Amino acid sequence: MLVSEIYTPKTVEEAITVLSRYPDALIFAGGTDYLRDQADVEISFPREVLSVAGIPELRQVNLTERFLEIGAAVTLSEILELKENAVPSLLSDALRGVASPAIRNLATIGGNLASGSRFMDSWAVLACLDTLVEARDELGARWINVNRLVSPEGKPAIPKASLLTRIRIPIDPWDISAFKKIGPKNYPCPESAAFAFAARADKGIVSDFRLAFAGERALRLREIESRLLGMRLPLSQKDRKQIQSQYRATEDPLSPGLRLQFNALIDGALDLLSR
Amino acid sequence: MTISFILNGEDVTVGIRSGDRLAPILRHHFGLLGVQTDCLHGVCGRCLIFLNGSLVPSCMVPAFRARGGEIITIEGFSQTEEYRDIVDGFRQAGLETCGFCETGKILAAAALLEKRPRPVPEEILVAFSSVSCRCSDPDLLVKGVQAAAELRAGRLYRRARQ
Amino acid sequence: MAGSDKPQDTAKTDLEDMELNGMVYVATVRSPIARGKILSIIPPVLPPGYRIILPQDIPGENHIVSFGTEVPILASGSVSYLGEPLALIAGPDSVRAASFAAAVQIDYEAEEPLLNWESFSSGQVLAKRVAVVGDPDLAFSIARQALESTFTTGSIEHYYSEPQGALACFDYDKFAIWCATQWPYHVRDSVALVLGCKASEVAVRPTRLGVHLDGKLWYPSLLACHAALAAYLCRRPAKILLQRREDFLYTPKRASSSISLRAAVDPNGRLSAIDARIAVNVGAYGPLAEETLSQICLAATGVYSCPNVRIEGYAVTTNTPPMGAFGGLGAGQAFFAIESEAARLAQFLGEDPLDWKSRNVLKKGSRLITGEVLKDDTKYDEIASKLALASDYRRKYACYELVRKRRTDRYDGPMRGIGFSFAYQSAGVFFSGGDSNVYTVEASLDKDLHLVIKTSAAASSESVRRIWCETASAAVDIPPESVSIAPPDTDRSPNSGPLTLSRGITVINRLVERVCTAIQKKRFRDPLPLTARAVYRLPKPVRWEEGHVSGQPLEGAAWGGAVVEVELDPWTLEIRPVGVWICADGGRIVAPARAEASLRVAAASAVSLCLRERLPAESEHISDESFFEYGILGANELPPIHVELLQGDKRDESKGIGELPFNTVPAAFLAALSQAAGMAFHTIPVQPADLAAPAAEAAGGDAK
Repeated sequence: MLVSEIYTPKTVEEAITVLSRYPDALIFAGGTDYLRDQADVEISFPREVLSVAGIPELRQVNLTERFLEIGAAVTLSEILELKENAVPSLLSDALRGVASPAIRNLATIGGNLASGSRFMDSWAVLACLDTLVEARDELGARWINVNRLVSPEGKPAIPKASLLTRIRIPIDPWDISAFKKIGPKNYPCPESAAFAFAARADKGIVSDFRLAFAGERALRLREIESRLLGMRLPLSQKDRKQIQSQYRATEDPLSPGLRLQFNALIDGALDLLSR
Repeated sequence: MTISFILNGEDVTVGIRSGDRLAPILRHHFGLLGVQTDCLHGVCGRCLIFLNGSLVPSCMVPAFRARGGEIITIEGFSQTEEYRDIVDGFRQAGLETCGFCETGKILAAAALLEKRPRPVPEEILVAFSSVSCRCSDPDLLVKGVQAAAELRAGRLYRRARQ
Repeated sequence: MAGSDKPQDTAKTDLEDMELNGMVYVATVRSPIARGKILSIIPPVLPPGYRIILPQDIPGENHIVSFGTEVPILASGSVSYLGEPLALIAGPDSVRAASFAAAVQIDYEAEEPLLNWESFSSGQVLAKRVAVVGDPDLAFSIARQALESTFTTGSIEHYYSEPQGALACFDYDKFAIWCATQWPYHVRDSVALVLGCKASEVAVRPTRLGVHLDGKLWYPSLLACHAALAAYLCRRPAKILLQRREDFLYTPKRASSSISLRAAVDPNGRLSAIDARIAVNVGAYGPLAEETLSQICLAATGVYSCPNVRIEGYAVTTNTPPMGAFGGLGAGQAFFAIESEAARLAQFLGEDPLDWKSRNVLKKGSRLITGEVLKDDTKYDEIASKLALASDYRRKYACYELVRKRRTDRYDGPMRGIGFSFAYQSAGVFFSGGDSNVYTVEASLDKDLHLVIKTSAAASSESVRRIWCETASAAVDIPPESVSIAPPDTDRSPNSGPLTLSRGITVINRLVERVCTAIQKKRFRDPLPLTARAVYRLPKPVRWEEGHVSGQPLEGAAWGGAVVEVELDPWTLEIRPVGVWICADGGRIVAPARAEASLRVAAASAVSLCLRERLPAESEHISDESFFEYGILGANELPPIHVELLQGDKRDESKGIGELPFNTVPAAFLAALSQAAGMAFHTIPVQPADLAAPAAEAAGGDAK
């Protein structure tokens, strides 16, 4: 077994110091994502591991009138146990579908967002809600929109050598929203993906519309979303078909199977808006 | 490295390596056979423990995370009254397991009843999704936990009256 | 951590918990190729206490015999599947032993593996069965309607409660083996063969089995030989316990099948001809090839009466691990095909499947493909009507049919379907273990009126054990608490045969009853203590020769049906099981609540097969990914499962019903899904992509 150095900082400050010295250190919170692909009884770690699950600053939850701020090391179970109207239903729907209660007691929201290999269930929801995530490194702290955690090819792009410390979710209510998970439920595969959409209407006119889809690649098409703004609800057949064909016409890196499902989910969202 | 923590109510210290999972340490070093290393993936539920009050699959926890914490395994939990509520409740309902998943099912029930003293069937079945076994009978799992919940409520009521 | 010197001292009943002082752990050196020749095996330098065990170290034979087929203990020369054991590493630390095993250098000459089995070469055929009844060619030529479909089933992982393994040690003058096995005497005979000693020098003590789904029928014997070899050569207790992942990749799975059915009906909608072409993949060696093929072929025409039948089946070998039993030996695969075909036929004829099946189902007095006449009543009408009532089948079927025909897009009404199927579980006594086929149970009643039952059968659950105790208590008229079952031990318990195919109920329980009745009779003449034995001889097996099959395969069969209702989520086309209803005739039910529970549990696994479980198509290398991806349905993903058992007569025999859910649920599910989706399917599980395609077209082009 390669002997790894396990750093267990007590503050974010200390964590950043370690990270700046060892930029390739593995940031380890719940570890459920990291251990997902490991099959041996002995865990294979890189040379440096930064254990952040116990840092009190990363475990705070703050609710204001407009935002819900959650520390990156808050577990998925803890989020689900927050009082009911504090958490957007999109997010609780997404988190409720993750693994099992025992795994949810370990898995953290930061970990769910920061998976390097693919997008996990929370990304589509948080992207849809235009969530901000705070990333800190030795140069300071900055807020990044979750939608920017995506490379041009549509893959996850987490800033290197930074610690995600908290997420800030706008909690203004939505008139219509839905979360759907597709593909095998028990283990993330190429065919697994999450879909989230939310819409707001003001006096029967669409004032806001968001739609995100993410599996191994992320898809959020703001140009199409903005076309919906100003449309009258319930959507007319013409409007519905127009948006449908725009989504179908996009070139994106989805596999044929996922493409079919993505189209079906768009149809579902538009169907909801047509009623 | 050496870590110290509270295990089933006792202060313990053990030397571990960075890549050790918690489950084999509990099982082999501390002789706690109620913690099984089976799927090594957090799915089968045979390594479930309470870590700092939270039900987790100990095969998915690196041993270093136990430092300064409190761990309860089935061996410790079986000394509690909550354990009796559950075992008696299961028996009353006629719930039998294959034996291998019993620990996981008892602890999953315990974790649920701690948070939801009067769980509805859906909550019960979600709780048992932490344990994956071919012997699971959804009907009797629900009845077993409901019976355990009754016994637990009765016991707590009697204690409050004293 | 200190172990003990004698396993019995540890009071541990599970193999995985048994630790003995000075024990060595055994790790397996596995073939890196699926087919070819092994040229040399070179271990790394091993520290003291560790050794490698090679084929040449085996004192006796380098094979076990399973149902007449020789399966090597350590493959020597040529290998037949990826991961096949080539050598063993034994040593005091299991993790180190495993890493040494992985570091062994193997030189080989790889050959192109045979992975194709749906089309195969004659060299791959291990068994063939042909039966012809009447004149199917003529019947097809004059038939007005005929349907042809091919149904396939994949390979399934048992995911039993505990991974496989064994522990071996010297115990005074015996060689003792602890092993979770359905067949202790097979373990004994295998170990004796491999060690080159007498069977009486080996004592096998079965450990707790848990749920096995027929995955521990013969393979534990092979692992017991590995442990025995290590114990013999190292002169220490030796234990082999596969890691779950290892067990998943390399131990026997359910045999996959491909069944092409062509069925013709006469102008009255009655079946006039069935032509079944069957291929079943039995993997390497295929120890259960003959029996699996036999069972599938016998069940190819399902529960139907048909005057013209042609069945042609092949058991095909491939370079994958040996495959065989899973909740039965093969009938499940056959019923999946024939019941799905029957549902399609009924739909094609515009008839409710319940009615179509009623007209075509076998009845008492119907002629079977063996030429014999069915002696029992299938109780189809009673079972079907109970199911229809419980599930509201008729109304739902009609309603969902209407919706299916009129649907314009996915959002046009709920996408629901309901399916029904009917099958039997054969008595399981027509399957020869390749041993003496004579099985015994012994019982002794002492002066304090305590009864001890001795059998080598290790009950797979507390429930089964209690059923035996209750049967005994009733026969001897003593309280059940006064009945105990001696821990099985081949040294002390008589040979009661392999515990499979519900023989816990059909064979062992009957033997318990007979032996206890014998004791009760003796009590009136003789003083206590008393001992008696009851012996059961397997009846003549079904025989296949020259295009005929003969015998009484349906004697003592249990009949039952299932209804499954599903719904598709219009957005995701995720299949949601809404409900499962099972109704069975198990004859005399000894413990109704437990019988119902066991049916529910089996039904839960059957639903899991429909929705999720399938091993990847046979490939040379199954990756860790497939181990991670494979899962059984969680408790919260299961639908409500309702079970009803017919009231049996006290004089009826008890029948095995544990496999009925596997024989009925999958086809009922497929029929329900077909109705909900408006498409035909031919295998399970069904992938969302298969569901999405036509629905997407419909949605894309519609104008509401």
